Amino acid sequence: MAPALQATGITKRFPGVLANDHVNFTLEKGEIHALLGENGAGKSTLMNILYGLYQPDEGEIAINGALTKIVSPHDAISQGIGMVHQHFMLIPPLTVTENIMLGQETTVESTRFLGEIAVLDRDKVAGRIRQLSREYGLEIDPEAVVADLTVGAQQRVEIVKALYRNADILILDEPTAVLTPQEADDLFITMRSLVKQGKSIIFITHKLREVFAVADRISVMRSGQMVGTVKPAEATQEMLAEMMVGRKVILQVDKEEAHPGQEVLKVEDLRVQDDRDHMVVDGVDLEVCSGEILGIAGVQGNGQTELTEALTGLRKTVSGKIYILGQETSHDNPRQITEEGCSHIPEDRHKHGLVLSFPVRDNLVLNTYYHAPFSEGPELDFATIEHEANELVHTFDVRTPSIETKAGSLSGGNQQKVIVARELSRPVKLLIASQPTRGLDVGSIEFIHRRIIEARDRGAAVLLISAELDEIMSLSDRIAVMYKGQILDILDAKTATREELGLLMAGVVKESANV
Amino acid sequence: MTATTQTIEERRSSLKGAWWVTPLLIIFGLAAVFWLVNLVIGGQCDLKFCVPGTLGQALRGATPIAFAALTGVVCERSGIVNIGIEGQMLMAAMVAYAVNVFSFQSFQHMMSPEAAGNLSRFLAIIAGVISSMLLGYLLAVVSIRYKVDQVIGGTVINMLSLGITGYFYRQFLAENIPAGPGTFPILFPSLSNIPIIGPILFAQKPLTYVMLICVVLLNYMIFFTPWGLRLRSVGEHPRAADTLGINVFKTRYNAVVFGSIFAGLGGCWFTLEQVDVFNPQMTNGLGFIGLAAMIFGNWNPFGALAGALIFGLGNSITATVSIFRPDIPSQIPQMLPYILTIIVLTGVVGRSTPPAAENQPYEKQ
Amino acid sequence: MSDTTTALPGPVAAPKKKNRLQQIVDVLWMPTLAVLTSFLIIGIVIWITSGSLETVFKAYNGMIRGALIKERGLSESLVATVPYIFLSLGVAVGFKTGLFNIGVEGQFYIGSVAAAFVGQAITGLPALIHLPLAILAGAAGGAIWAGIPGFLKAKTGAHEVITTIMMNYISFRLVELLVSGPLKDKHSTAVQTAPSQPSAWVWTLYSIPERLKDPLNALGVALFVAFIFYMIGRWLISSTTLKQRFVGARQQNLASLIFGGVIGLISFFVLPLLTSAWWPFQDKYDRLHIGLILAIVAAVVVWWLLWKTSLGFELRTVGANTNAARYAGINITRSIITSMAISGALAGIAGAIEVLGVSACHCLPMFFSSGYGFESIAIALMAKNDPFGILAAAFLWGAIRNGADLMELNSGVSKYIISLIQALALLFVSAPELLRTIWRIPASKGTEGEAVQSTRLGG
Repeated sequence: MAPALQATGITKRFPGVLANDHVNFTLEKGEIHALLGENGAGKSTLMNILYGLYQPDEGEIAINGALTKIVSPHDAISQGIGMVHQHFMLIPPLTVTENIMLGQETTVESTRFLGEIAVLDRDKVAGRIRQLSREYGLEIDPEAVVADLTVGAQQRVEIVKALYRNADILILDEPTAVLTPQEADDLFITMRSLVKQGKSIIFITHKLREVFAVADRISVMRSGQMVGTVKPAEATQEMLAEMMVGRKVILQVDKEEAHPGQEVLKVEDLRVQDDRDHMVVDGVDLEVCSGEILGIAGVQGNGQTELTEALTGLRKTVSGKIYILGQETSHDNPRQITEEGCSHIPEDRHKHGLVLSFPVRDNLVLNTYYHAPFSEGPELDFATIEHEANELVHTFDVRTPSIETKAGSLSGGNQQKVIVARELSRPVKLLIASQPTRGLDVGSIEFIHRRIIEARDRGAAVLLISAELDEIMSLSDRIAVMYKGQILDILDAKTATREELGLLMAGVVKESANV
Repeated sequence: MTATTQTIEERRSSLKGAWWVTPLLIIFGLAAVFWLVNLVIGGQCDLKFCVPGTLGQALRGATPIAFAALTGVVCERSGIVNIGIEGQMLMAAMVAYAVNVFSFQSFQHMMSPEAAGNLSRFLAIIAGVISSMLLGYLLAVVSIRYKVDQVIGGTVINMLSLGITGYFYRQFLAENIPAGPGTFPILFPSLSNIPIIGPILFAQKPLTYVMLICVVLLNYMIFFTPWGLRLRSVGEHPRAADTLGINVFKTRYNAVVFGSIFAGLGGCWFTLEQVDVFNPQMTNGLGFIGLAAMIFGNWNPFGALAGALIFGLGNSITATVSIFRPDIPSQIPQMLPYILTIIVLTGVVGRSTPPAAENQPYEKQ
Repeated sequence: MSDTTTALPGPVAAPKKKNRLQQIVDVLWMPTLAVLTSFLIIGIVIWITSGSLETVFKAYNGMIRGALIKERGLSESLVATVPYIFLSLGVAVGFKTGLFNIGVEGQFYIGSVAAAFVGQAITGLPALIHLPLAILAGAAGGAIWAGIPGFLKAKTGAHEVITTIMMNYISFRLVELLVSGPLKDKHSTAVQTAPSQPSAWVWTLYSIPERLKDPLNALGVALFVAFIFYMIGRWLISSTTLKQRFVGARQQNLASLIFGGVIGLISFFVLPLLTSAWWPFQDKYDRLHIGLILAIVAAVVVWWLLWKTSLGFELRTVGANTNAARYAGINITRSIITSMAISGALAGIAGAIEVLGVSACHCLPMFFSSGYGFESIAIALMAKNDPFGILAAAFLWGAIRNGADLMELNSGVSKYIISLIQALALLFVSAPELLRTIWRIPASKGTEGEAVQSTRLGG
């Protein structure tokens, strides 16, 4: 029987990078095929080609044995390919029904002659949505506004959106990035049920663990090339990691015992609102001492972003107190907090961390330019700034042609290194690192992990916020789990298990919780 | 999981509270305003003539502002900021004037002056609208194809329009102009004598009624049709629309050119309904005030109309006060519409949300 | 934030170092081509509307002669350039902070009213104090007028495009009100303000030798000269081997101060004698005034402010990435208001100079030529917000504006066609790909300058 989808020799070049290098990929009917690779390996590019968002420079695609060209998402959809993107392609102010019918709108029969300005038939579509929802066990409410839905619900909407268009092939791009371990398990159950109903699924991830849970076959990509395809039974995590990275990978971070000292950060009953005035941080207490790493685990969207912003002065607090080394900083602005000795690696390096159009040199003094030695009176002392910048670039191994290069030209890993270099170039008393290795390659991840531990060993108190449970577990000394704006429990990293953490991340609290 | 029953759209287009709150607030507000005005002009504004007259003038004055706001709504809903509406209206005003006058010259030999007048004014509207659409197309090309910042693009449109109308006016239209057929007449002269509602609703010229129809039509189109759904999706999350097969670029081009029709109609108002001459820069900032009305109205046609009416009312009250109190230097009331615009912008903007993808060129990647 | 689709995985090849000439050509070729193309297109327009090619030649001939060649042509062009320099500098400061200050026009008029008032209302002051005071009044007026929309933008998010345009219209009415009312010249039938005291007049270059006979004026000039040479000293030290001799900002400053001071002292004694013996500007109808020097100094100061000071760093960061600026601890509100105030002050100075120097009655008449605001935006964009580029582009504009009068006289083509030239030039400068399409130039890899990214209209 012909495979559901067969891609041969797919090649795609972007300026400066060969994203896909003669890639061969086959999806058999009724299988769940995992596509594994680290960030930048070319997985998303390949999928975007299959979905018609990019055109390959070379190569062919065959669906159910028939050669075909996919020049647009429209083509892909009509050939039965549906895609659930990593960053959801849903329109927040519109309802579920409107989002699902967009592009293929059903109009009221009697007004159909008006063409594009006929009357939308929302009821009919809602009915079909309910039908699909029942059939595949994906609970969604057609009348809901997408902006009000949880991340898990939005993902279900995305899947129904594909099913509504009669997709037989589903591409799921990093679907578990935004789910708790339990929600991920639910997703795997859904996937198996879809496959039983005759669908075929491509499942992209960079998390080794997951492929063993759900895949029938695993393909590994590295640096734009397809390295190999194996069955889960024949593979181990170490083998897959090596295929992904091209060398032996140490999956555990080496670190010594922590020697916690005095209390550096104290947070008392903190409450913070998000941009839509919801109380997303709802009574948080924590302490971090010097020489230890407190990791905050939790799926994104439980208030971590707003907590970090409140701690660093980027967001106003509603009530509660924050103390850094005994000084209250609850209402301080970012500059005052930085001057207290706080360093912040922000979650979004393009939004907060860097000015992409400025040279690396300027980015390295972004929060220190205004005082000595970088400034004398009203003027900047460029000689000193350049000297410092060159030193930092050297010490932190930032790959850049010069310090005059615009930050936007650097790779993601090097951009993050610039931020880390800047934040660790000051005497650090409190380091707040938020998603510090998101979207980076393994080499950069290792580098940044080492630096964070170094900072801890030199006496800094480190608050690490990450959605990657592995990162939290390997770096932290203590782990706090945040769920719906509250810290549910704080566990000792040495004894905490994935299952415990997973339950907490999903909001399940044990009776003897230690809040 | 339960859902909220109001879409964000519905939330945007309704004020909070029960159905009678809004009309009550409006009547209350109007009463307060007129009481204040009456105070200023020493009791000369009586209920029977002055108030309806002022309100009718308000609707009249709101017409070009509403047209400008409608153009803004359509363009911005698709993600394109259109600062050039002022220039589009100015261009349409001049083109309409020129076509009106010159075609009348030809037509009046062929038919009765009245028929010729109507025909030439009708042609003038078409010409004015086309000129506005051409400028809109230029804005679309510059913003979408060449990815120039849209505010700069709009500024270019304004400058081009100022330049073209200024030059052509002084070169060709300033002197030796034959008499044109004049402006549109009031559509329902007999009905306008009905007390109170007559002057308000029936003493209006055609373009005002066209404007009201456009508001209703556009509201339907934006919120109840596939065209509108795609328009909104492209303005909120173009990449999502792209993944569903919608051509973001084409949708935006169409939106800007289609939206320009309203700016064209608004421009025609100046030279076909207000006065039958053209002055350089006669639009006087109304295009920008239209943008403020659009923001006030939360990017909805009915809201934009509300905003336009507020400004129209401000203008007409200004005129009324000027008539009855010639001792107040005319410049003070003349400043009021602009001050009002600023107040509206600052008071309202904090709590209104524009289309999310506004002013960002879409990269196809 | 996965950046698999846009990131470059390895280091970018370092751009080849270009020599000075190549750098200048890189920056200049596109605006030059834009202007030439505009002239070409307008030439075609003139040809079509007038029916004869000869008209086109007469028109451009007239323009060039009027702008540069005829008697006092060049100096009139320079006179027209001065306000453009200040206004465009103001716009550029705003742009760098991410703000669209179209309100330079209104700020110009408010500045002129303020200066007119100070110029005529205060008597008995020597020029040494009165002139700077009047100009300062203009700057203050403009700064306040711009600060209001700046404050509103910072606190409420009201988009400055609309608010500054509204402020423009308000300013027209306000100035009209003042000029025809409280500030009206009681001794004249014309609707204008009372003429300013001679002590507040901006000096024409012609009048300098006469003025220098007054020791107070000589003192003022000496101070100004000292300042200029202080700037020159700083520049010399930092760009030559002298920088090894004077290490550190303190030493450099001190050395330059001494250098400037000495030269200033010398000029106090020497200049009055020197200028009465020999002075090139002997035409008493020549309107060229010291405002030009002020404008050039302003360009240098703006450059220094934006690129050499921590304030400038803050403004540019706010313009480039407001979120990162907030993260960096920069006070966004203060930056926005400061930027608008500086922008407005520059516009206000332009207004002051116009009233105190250029206007025939040294007063403010009721004339309003609108369009200054948009033109300044065009100039700033053409010069890519670079202060020195602005000097060049402003001169081009001033020359064209000046030459337009003779063009109209010569060929009958209405001088308002220059606004068409300006609009087209702006169009081509902001969309260089259009030029490429017209002239079939293949795309090069160089960047065409930073785009200006404005903020959203609402929210």
